[in-house]
Amino acid sequence: MALNFQQRGSALVRRVLLAFLVVVSLAMTTVYAREGDDGTLHRAQAVVSGAVAPLKLVGATASSGAQTASDALGDLAADADTLSELRAYNAELVEQYAQMEEYRQENERLRQLVDLKDTYGIEGVGARVIGNPAGAWDQTVTIDKGTDDGVGTGLTVMGTSGVVGQVVAADARTATVRLLTDPKSGAAAIVQSSRAQGVVRGSLEGLLYLEDLEADAEVSEGDVVVTSGLGGSYTRGLVIGTVVKVDAKQGDSSRRAVVSPNESASALEEVLVVFSALGDDGDGADGNGGVDAADDGEGGGAS
Amino acid sequence: MNLTRENVVVAVGALVAVVLQVAVAPNVAIFAAQPNFLLAYVLTVAIANPLGAGPVLPFALGLLFDLLGTGPVGGMALLFTLASLAASRAFAVLDNDTLFMPLAILVAASFAVEMLYGILLVALGSPVGLADAFFYRALPCALYDCVVALVLYPLVVRLVSGAAQDRGPRTPRLR
Repeated sequence: MALNFQQRGSALVRRVLLAFLVVVSLAMTTVYAREGDDGTLHRAQAVVSGAVAPLKLVGATASSGAQTASDALGDLAADADTLSELRAYNAELVEQYAQMEEYRQENERLRQLVDLKDTYGIEGVGARVIGNPAGAWDQTVTIDKGTDDGVGTGLTVMGTSGVVGQVVAADARTATVRLLTDPKSGAAAIVQSSRAQGVVRGSLEGLLYLEDLEADAEVSEGDVVVTSGLGGSYTRGLVIGTVVKVDAKQGDSSRRAVVSPNESASALEEVLVVFSALGDDGDGADGNGGVDAADDGEGGGAS
Repeated sequence: MNLTRENVVVAVGALVAVVLQVAVAPNVAIFAAQPNFLLAYVLTVAIANPLGAGPVLPFALGLLFDLLGTGPVGGMALLFTLASLAASRAFAVLDNDTLFMPLAILVAASFAVEMLYGILLVALGSPVGLADAFFYRALPCALYDCVVALVLYPLVVRLVSGAAQDRGPRTPRLR
């Protein structure tokens, strides 16, 4: 009776049920905010995320297929005046070309990942992105590797050109990666040329900001920003991005720099989960600390 | 549990909304705006059947939305429940048989939920400004939710009202 979707019981029962559900919601929100990443509700999120991963993959595949079909239809329409035989042949070529182009791009991305792996001496596992965030307030992706492959929470994740995020939840076969562009991300970083230290944080605009800089730190456009490894949240020495804008002049204590992100969520297809890298003292993959800027307060991932 | 045809229709609709949220929503995002099919469905059900809409459906779908993401569990469950109640009560009082009133309530409720969720995230320590939350998420997402709700509304009205035995379909009129 009380579980009816459309309650037709008395007004009193409905009010009691409403009050109960409101209290339960508030209690869960409070518990979630207070518990750690290993808490019951966090684990429940990881389980549900893993459970719906196949559905996400189906959606992403269907979306990709629809895009390809749309492109093919557009090409066919452009050749509407030609002979039907040539149109069919052309369509076949277009399809083959699209397939080859897909392979070429995938090969390019994988080669970049392998190059990156060699450059940094990375021990890790490659993974395919199988799901984008289910809500607008998250900047997370789902990958097809989980604890069975050694992937655990806290591990750094790289795209083809550098760090893109960190594993925040993992089950046996899938894992959720919070991108650097998520406002809740925070990575301790240094400017490679001047060794100025700060924290790279995401934002709702999708930009990365290098914050908490010393007032006299030297930062200029074009400087490369890398992870510092402080706090153990991210593996040390990996490229985060390049400074594209500095908001205030040197000496200003509140200045920050805009860092160009390596990749956006929609562009990510293959990633590399880093177990360890050259020069890393091994504390970056311990699965604790610094995952959430929000959890760490002002210090973010650098604390 | 009372298995009336109306309940079955609403439950099947909820299942479809969940599938759409997981499989479709991430792939139809426009910049940062992503539709919330679950919210749109909850609100349309609340408005389509203001006297019969209970708190369980919005709570369940809100909780599922929370579990699908990485935000605070219970946040959307609370907001869905309250928004559904407010929307159904508002429509029961303000309905004037025009299309304007459900649309206005849908817009207001969608925007309120998205904005309150942003405020909740900020209150729980998410390092974003309220202005950013408003302009970069709440506003575009609420608009997207409204578009989805407007598409769903006639369908849900027909299905829910058609499934109910005690009244005919409600057909809003443009005035």
